[in-house]
Amino acid sequence: MIGTAHQIVLPVVLPLLAAFLLPLVGRLHVWPARLLGQIVGVLHLAVVAYLWTLVGGGETIVSALGGFAPPLGIVLYADRLSVLFLLVLSVGILLFWPRREHGGTRADTLTLLLLGGGSGLVLSGDLFNIFVFYEIVAVASYGLAASGGNAAGFGAALRYLLLSALGSALALLGIALVYGAAGTLNLADLSVLAPERLSGPMGLAAFLLLVLGFGVKAELFPVNTWVPEVYTAAPTRVTAILAGVVSKLSMVVILRLLVLIFADPGAQTLLLVLGLAGVIAGELAAFRAPDLNRTFAFSSIAQLGLVAVAFSIPDDLGIAAGIAVAVHHAVVKPGLFVIAGHWTGPIERLGGAARVSRPAAIAFVLLSLSIIGIPPFPGFWVKLLLLGEAFAAVDPVYALAGAVILAATVVEAAYLFRAAALMWEPPEGDNRPPAAFPLARLAPTLVLTLLILLAMGAVSPLGEALEAMAAEVGDAAIYVGNVLPGRI
Amino acid sequence: MTDAMLLAEALGDVLYTGAIGLILLGLYAMVVPRHLVRIVLGLLLVQSGVNLFLVAVGYRPEAAAPILLGGQAIGPVVDPLPQALVLTAIVIGVGVLALALALVVRVKDVHGTLDSREVAERMAAETGDSRLMPETAPGRGAAVPAREMLEDRS
Repeated sequence: MIGTAHQIVLPVVLPLLAAFLLPLVGRLHVWPARLLGQIVGVLHLAVVAYLWTLVGGGETIVSALGGFAPPLGIVLYADRLSVLFLLVLSVGILLFWPRREHGGTRADTLTLLLLGGGSGLVLSGDLFNIFVFYEIVAVASYGLAASGGNAAGFGAALRYLLLSALGSALALLGIALVYGAAGTLNLADLSVLAPERLSGPMGLAAFLLLVLGFGVKAELFPVNTWVPEVYTAAPTRVTAILAGVVSKLSMVVILRLLVLIFADPGAQTLLLVLGLAGVIAGELAAFRAPDLNRTFAFSSIAQLGLVAVAFSIPDDLGIAAGIAVAVHHAVVKPGLFVIAGHWTGPIERLGGAARVSRPAAIAFVLLSLSIIGIPPFPGFWVKLLLLGEAFAAVDPVYALAGAVILAATVVEAAYLFRAAALMWEPPEGDNRPPAAFPLARLAPTLVLTLLILLAMGAVSPLGEALEAMAAEVGDAAIYVGNVLPGRI
Repeated sequence: MTDAMLLAEALGDVLYTGAIGLILLGLYAMVVPRHLVRIVLGLLLVQSGVNLFLVAVGYRPEAAAPILLGGQAIGPVVDPLPQALVLTAIVIGVGVLALALALVVRVKDVHGTLDSREVAERMAAETGDSRLMPETAPGRGAAVPAREMLEDRS
């Protein structure tokens, strides 16, 4: 089923257009510019909701831009996976919209660039366009990382930029290898040609370069050293967007590449190893982290490692588990980062937090329980799905991966329970309790906690929708058939 | 095979060797020196190497530039697509490098050093364990105003 709704370009075009208009309008008056940005943000959500009504039943929208047919023309491709992550992006950015107008409209402009670039990233059906949109997202995120105006923010943004730009150069090298071997950059076309032209060591090298490049934003081991620095130095809203949303968009790109082009055991093993390394390194570092911000930064690395492990399982349900972990993390972690961004300082000083602000402490406990995977929270079903798939996989190495994930969960529970327990105790000695939490600042966390509680009641319909989505994503033939009818 | 053809074939190999060499040189310059400007220059070398590699992918011996006169190619032409990609990549690269240098200037302003390790140490001190309760770590009190500024803008 193919539709050709041209509204598919709107999520990319609207924010980009607004991003370039904003500084001009902002020179006259700041408030109309900020209003324009917010209107575009809401419009984006409306368009995405409309797109969901089009693809929700399993249809696909393929749009050949400018009327040039693929594989020579550039296509945008929207199926349920793309639109789901557009939705995550849109809601995440609206929840963490810049609130006050420090520095005029800069933060608004960068946020809109991130929104437009991120939309392009999940919709692109062409390897080079993915690279371009990835760069737009990257540049916007460098600016946002430095937007706190603090000294550490500039240092962290620079080190992040250097690593990320190096990663992008490597990804471009990977794209050059792919093009040299296959002579095309259209994902569907590549999917047809890959078994013949990209199956050898050359293909694996190209995949490694692409994963190292796109893995920078996806916080994959070993290109994630920027994560703790940026997440502690950047403003809370930026941390929430980068950890919650942007990392998942890169993961979607890696999933598409893996399914469509590099569907061979070598590439899957590579992703599995990188993912497991992330899980182990992330959870151990989180256990030893001195404050909540760093704890959640490292735990975020571990969670994205779980996503990589899930995607590496050669089975549709593995993909389903990966999407579930990604979306669950996108809902839970921004909420936790809001709390961490207010209650900074050593974890030992959290004593008395629950007395100061009960809603924040309760939200912290609920979200932590879900992320550890305690029933009946959605996180439990997510981890159950992942572990079930890992232990059911044919290759015994996945059973080992499952065991590692179980052990990592114990570590995760240890440090989150430690922090949660401290909150309900009186402050130690003559320490002052942490600062009270203004409800306005806590609002995004409360919204996200509510989402988690609502999802608790809808686990089985969500699971079925997820399985249908994964079956569609995992079948490269569906993608090729939609983009290049007649090539299968 | 004429000498000219052999030369043209060899040129392709020289391009690849040069590209890989530039990338390795750039990687070295990004990893070993601690001076931030040198690291940025290393990034420039890596980007140039990758761009050269991309151009080399489209190279064909004895082919002309892909300029069509009257819609007709006169002889064999090199692949135009990598050239278009490189053009885009160069533009992106220039933008990113300019941003990197701008950030280097800001880092020098706020940290007073261009040594990447010293910058990392200062950042760790500023965002470290002590930022909520400065009295626990004497000498780090300066970290607090910056943190307040950060929260103000969140």
